[in-house]
Amino acid sequence: MTRLSIGYVPLTDAAVLIAAAERGFAAAEGLDLVPVRETSWANIRDKLVFGHFDGAHMLAPLAVATTLGLGHMALPLVAPVMLNIGGHAVTVSRPIAAALAEHGGLSGEVAAAAAALGAVARARAAAGQGPLTFAAVFPLSVHAYLLRRLFLAAGLDPERDVRLVVVPPPFMVDALRRGYVDGFCVGSPWNSVAVDQGVGTILLLGNTVVPGAPDKLLALPAERADAPESAALIRALAAAAAWCAAPENRADLAALLGESGHLDASAAVIRRTLDGALVVDGDGRLRNDPDFLVLDANRPEPAQADWLAAAMQAAGHLPDGSESAVRAVFRGDLFDAALGPPAPG
Amino acid sequence: MQDGVVSVAVVDADRARAAIVEEGLRAAGIPRVAIVPDSPDLLDRLVALAPDVVVIALDSPSRDVLEQMFRVSRVVERPVAVFVDRSDAATMQAAIDAGVSAYVVDGLKPERVRAIVDMAVMRFNAYSRMRRELEDAKTALADRKTIDKAKGLLMARKGLSEEDAYALLRRTAMNEKKRMVEIAQAIITAAELF
Repeated sequence: MTRLSIGYVPLTDAAVLIAAAERGFAAAEGLDLVPVRETSWANIRDKLVFGHFDGAHMLAPLAVATTLGLGHMALPLVAPVMLNIGGHAVTVSRPIAAALAEHGGLSGEVAAAAAALGAVARARAAAGQGPLTFAAVFPLSVHAYLLRRLFLAAGLDPERDVRLVVVPPPFMVDALRRGYVDGFCVGSPWNSVAVDQGVGTILLLGNTVVPGAPDKLLALPAERADAPESAALIRALAAAAAWCAAPENRADLAALLGESGHLDASAAVIRRTLDGALVVDGDGRLRNDPDFLVLDANRPEPAQADWLAAAMQAAGHLPDGSESAVRAVFRGDLFDAALGPPAPG
Repeated sequence: MQDGVVSVAVVDADRARAAIVEEGLRAAGIPRVAIVPDSPDLLDRLVALAPDVVVIALDSPSRDVLEQMFRVSRVVERPVAVFVDRSDAATMQAAIDAGVSAYVVDGLKPERVRAIVDMAVMRFNAYSRMRRELEDAKTALADRKTIDKAKGLLMARKGLSEEDAYALLRRTAMNEKKRMVEIAQAIITAAELF
């Protein structure tokens, strides 16, 4: 058995990695897969760069930045597997939700939410109040780019009219309760936790703002791209992803992820994300989207790389002319090579 | 940085470890050291404090808050970078291995920063060693209590002398290829059943 330590941040979108390790898919490929829980994305990056991890559950833009050495020591990475699409949402504090409701912003439609957000922000500015503060979990994240897009749709300048900060997931709900932030974009289960604790209202599901955006991927050091154990890992993750996506396995998956050694969260709350049935406010209103979190769209696609490059450039996180370098991280060819040609019929 | 005096903020939820790092930095001639709690308003606290170097434990969730300080420069006036010295990967490796990381305001000389990082690494490693030794000592003490209790049971029930009870325990452990404390625990468990 080849042992592989893979770092991850405890979020529902680590499901495929955890299921691969805990439900026999890695062992079937001859791998002793050990997911190692981490407290920050910076740790994930550094422990990958310095060889503590063989691979990682990683934010797609962080994998690009690490490959290019943006602001940090470079380590070329490859992404042979997408671990999830979506699963994140925008949540606002209850006072902001009340203000947005007055402008018809709580329908779940992006255009309506953006228009209401713009109106509330301008009313605050006119009243001499400070700008709205929104949090993401990391500067280099689809979540941060989603918020930028939402602010732009609201007619707000993301650099001037709003304040965008980073808050770690475990502090997110507390930051909202204390009014330190007015809203945030974060992955599951934290939006539901905020709703359940009565401090937040889910404004928008992530895939309504940035459909198909590449969220977390499996990042491997480029030098391991062609190793036999990397191909075995890709196969194990693909098999685990199919298992995770099957509705009959959701109860087991939610319980597994909720265990104290993994997310340490309520299985029932995680289940809402897996079902795509979100309780969005204190009145128990439901919003349904079967594609809220997609775990089995695992082949990295050039179109995802191009979307990411454009989003990173818009945020000033990527120099112009780096599009081909971003594409080189998204290795659909490694995914294809590991899985072989699709079965006939 | 005023008059060449470097100020350092230490972010660590482990207060004992933070105090040890603080003491080390002061001993190394850095007079301005502040311990900052790991809380949701960390960024505001750091902006108010405006340290030249931030030393942060890797087990602190707030590490990612510092990552924004050098990317979203609008929130903080002075640009900050993660301590990257491409010529000295060994220092960074040692820091990550020790469980600590540093963020630095642009313009500080690498030698000065390296001395701070080296001190933090030494103190983190010393603290880990102390904790390990403490754990070992606690385990050894608990083991000895278990063995003493089993010895007492053997003396009372089999009428053995202390020396013979100890010898019996040791012989059994050797024959069974187990640790003495495991045999002792088995005796105590069995005694509780009867």
